[in-house]
Amino acid sequence: MSQISVTQRAAGAAEVPVSRAPYFPRKKKGISPQSIAIIVFLSMCALFFCIPLYVVVVTSFKTMDQIREGAIFALPQVWTLDAWDHAWNKACSGINCNGLKVGFWNSVMILFPSLALSIGLSMVTGYALALWNVRWAGGFLFLLFICAFVPFQIIMYPLIVMTSTAKVYGTLWGVAIIHAVLAMPVLTLIFRNYYKDIPQEIMSAAVMDSGSFWKIFIEIILPMSGNILIVVLILQITNIWNDYLIGVTFGGLNGQPMTVNLANLVTISTGTTNYAHNMAAALLTAIPPLVVYFVVGKLFVQGVTSGAIKG
Amino acid sequence: MKTMRWSRISPQAALMPAVAVTLVAFVGSILWTVYLSFTRSRRLPEYGIDWSEWGRQYNRLFRDAGWEISLRNLIVLGLGSALAIVFGFILAAMIDKEKRGESLFRTVFLYPLAVSLIVTGAAWRWILNPTLGAQSFLRGLGWQVDFNWLAQPDTAMYAIILASVWQSAGFYMALMLAGLKGINSEIWSAAKLDGVPLWRLYVEIVIPMMKFTFITCAILLSLGVIKAYDVVVAMTNGGPGQSTWVPAYFTINALSAKSNLGYASAAAVMMLIITLVVFVPLVALTAWQQRKGVAR
Repeated sequence: MSQISVTQRAAGAAEVPVSRAPYFPRKKKGISPQSIAIIVFLSMCALFFCIPLYVVVVTSFKTMDQIREGAIFALPQVWTLDAWDHAWNKACSGINCNGLKVGFWNSVMILFPSLALSIGLSMVTGYALALWNVRWAGGFLFLLFICAFVPFQIIMYPLIVMTSTAKVYGTLWGVAIIHAVLAMPVLTLIFRNYYKDIPQEIMSAAVMDSGSFWKIFIEIILPMSGNILIVVLILQITNIWNDYLIGVTFGGLNGQPMTVNLANLVTISTGTTNYAHNMAAALLTAIPPLVVYFVVGKLFVQGVTSGAIKG
Repeated sequence: MKTMRWSRISPQAALMPAVAVTLVAFVGSILWTVYLSFTRSRRLPEYGIDWSEWGRQYNRLFRDAGWEISLRNLIVLGLGSALAIVFGFILAAMIDKEKRGESLFRTVFLYPLAVSLIVTGAAWRWILNPTLGAQSFLRGLGWQVDFNWLAQPDTAMYAIILASVWQSAGFYMALMLAGLKGINSEIWSAAKLDGVPLWRLYVEIVIPMMKFTFITCAILLSLGVIKAYDVVVAMTNGGPGQSTWVPAYFTINALSAKSNLGYASAAAVMMLIITLVVFVPLVALTAWQQRKGVAR
């Protein structure tokens, strides 16, 4: 994340000494062969990146008869929504055949409390660490930094024991809480990095104004946090929605998110696989984060790169 | 006076929940697992340590063929996924050089990142389907290609690498693009004036200038590789046989399928050690680079 600030600083610095130096002749208007080669290459790469999406979309509208013919790239002869209907309403995950809609609503119910918990906790922590003189802040930050890189497997069993002691194991709340816990170190570092650029003068003035810790947080810091909040929100929405491991570990039988249902569907080895159903299910799972991506693309990039540390 | 006191106490009080989470969920849990790795725990934890053979779980682990496969696959996956950095750099350099269509290409290359690895796995699993997928399509065109990677033990890892590179190349592209944009634009004009070939400019000046970005990418990549689990589950579920096991998969399999807690703990500790071995030098390098950058 310091990466970001460094590159931004560098980019800012690069713009100050005017780069459009007048003693170079203006670029010619036509397209050079080199440009054409680059655009062709990039287009081919783009094609490669689009193939999976295309295949998934096309397959989800096909009938099983057409799929058996084997032309994976062909358009559907008859466009049908059967697979979508089946995936949403009737697909089996384990012994339940209520479709992906169960997992979808589970994912939604996990998402909101988890967002509130993780962002609330790390925002306050980041604020306290960045703007208040806490003597042990440095050591704690270092500890958080280490925690951000710890593989989940090494804390998995103790967390299972703790959540089952707290009677939240196997519930949506359990999954949501674990998400919040695991995201806390990274999010705290992000918020702290953002807040530490707030000028000390503002803080001094605020403290002089007999502002207390919480009063300053609510009246000054919160209104200044719009940008970083959106970035973190995007980061967390995609992270939580796309998670599989935490959902499958802590969701039990009733708290499984959509990704777990999808994984059960595609890895099933008994009976004949209906690929149209699988692809419709994959698309249904992918749509929410894709919508986020296409609606707020630029902020999404900021989000993933500022949370880059999480990998 | 009263407010002064409060301003000392409230920040510390506000930090308490985070401190508690860190100490209990991270530090405490790590110690707990390390302790368990020395016990004979199977399905249920056992808290007595037999000191005469405290390292028995580790001994077993190092003799386990499945663990050896996992480690080998970790290296294969690491080297293979590194292609995503190379690919990401090439894409970024081209997008940066040729500004036309920048936002379109960026959007296309980055969208896989928005999608769950389970979805990615499902999609590629379908494309790599031997009878109905891309292989049959290519053979229909008259090319006798063997694209049946998933079913064969020696190629299944390639399929996983393909899916991970597809998913993450755009992310590295985004990081590299930011790095490239930070490079002073005068370099390009100067090189043009001197008639330096473009590839030499990249190799000798641009890439060394972007050391910091490359190290960041390497850190993120190695963390991603060690954590790789979802993509394995969605693509092969560890199969065929044990051919696509990785440490993350091995550990969870030992805990859930084999319900062998002590063994899984030992594997998890090894994962942590691998992370530290890769991670500490890289982070030290970054810190050093950063300090140099600030001094400059």
